[in-house]
Amino acid sequence: MTERKYLAAAIGPRVESFLRPTLRAAGFDLSFEITDSHPAGDDFETPDVVVKFTGPDVDLLLSNRAELLLALEHVTMEMLRMPSEDHSRISFDANDYRLLRIEELRLSAMTAAEKVKRTGVPFRFNPMNSRERRVIHMALRNEPEVRSESLGAGLSRQVVVYPAGMASLPEPPREFVPRSRAQAAPHGSGGPPRDRDRGQGAPHGPAGRPARRR
Amino acid sequence: MKQLIEDIAKALVDIPEEVAVREVQGEQVTVLELKVAPSDLGKVIGKQGRTARSIRTILGAAGMKLNRRFTLEILE
Repeated sequence: MTERKYLAAAIGPRVESFLRPTLRAAGFDLSFEITDSHPAGDDFETPDVVVKFTGPDVDLLLSNRAELLLALEHVTMEMLRMPSEDHSRISFDANDYRLLRIEELRLSAMTAAEKVKRTGVPFRFNPMNSRERRVIHMALRNEPEVRSESLGAGLSRQVVVYPAGMASLPEPPREFVPRSRAQAAPHGSGGPPRDRDRGQGAPHGPAGRPARRR
Repeated sequence: MKQLIEDIAKALVDIPEEVAVREVQGEQVTVLELKVAPSDLGKVIGKQGRTARSIRTILGAAGMKLNRRFTLEILE
């Protein structure tokens, strides 16, 4: 895919001198290791650098859809002044969460595609961040009978799967939704195959620029 | 916790000397008031508030370990 832009040797020391005191001040019992990533067989997600966490607080890190893991990741990338289009180049991980999550999303995508083919009705995923939406689009790219597109803005941006020839749903009006309500009840009909996917957009936030489509 | 917020904020902003955190103890909740240079507000809030939300998540998790609730107030 694209060439490496970030190297563990280059950013490692800065990440370390930020994370170590942060983890200590927060009282998180975690260790981490910063390494260059080895590209996997597929191109679903190929970060340049991986920060892998271990330790007693890994459960806390991964609870609530890895909310804390993603928060630490985001703040670290902001600390490094990385432009947002580079944010998938560094991946924080623990217990192979990233890989398992991609697998889960891929399965959801395939199940949704089957449903759309069978019923001819568009399927709306619950809101997700841009990285996760990308995984859905990638999973469906070789499915000629359906197409996928993201709809909505910010926290409520969601992937919609359409039968290949169907026109897109209209963009929802930009209305003001108080954040607390948006998180409690992300709109979007029927969760994808699994219902526990509900509300997944809320904890790790948007990342999607309204105008950008994939 | 004051230290935590101070460290994170200082790493994010351009003018770390202007970062100040005040801790206000309440019965149930401890409020942490974060003040940064006006030009750095965007750095601690982030696009669509994502950075502020991330800091709150970290603070919330750290508070959970202490069985205490913390609120982050970013002063504008």
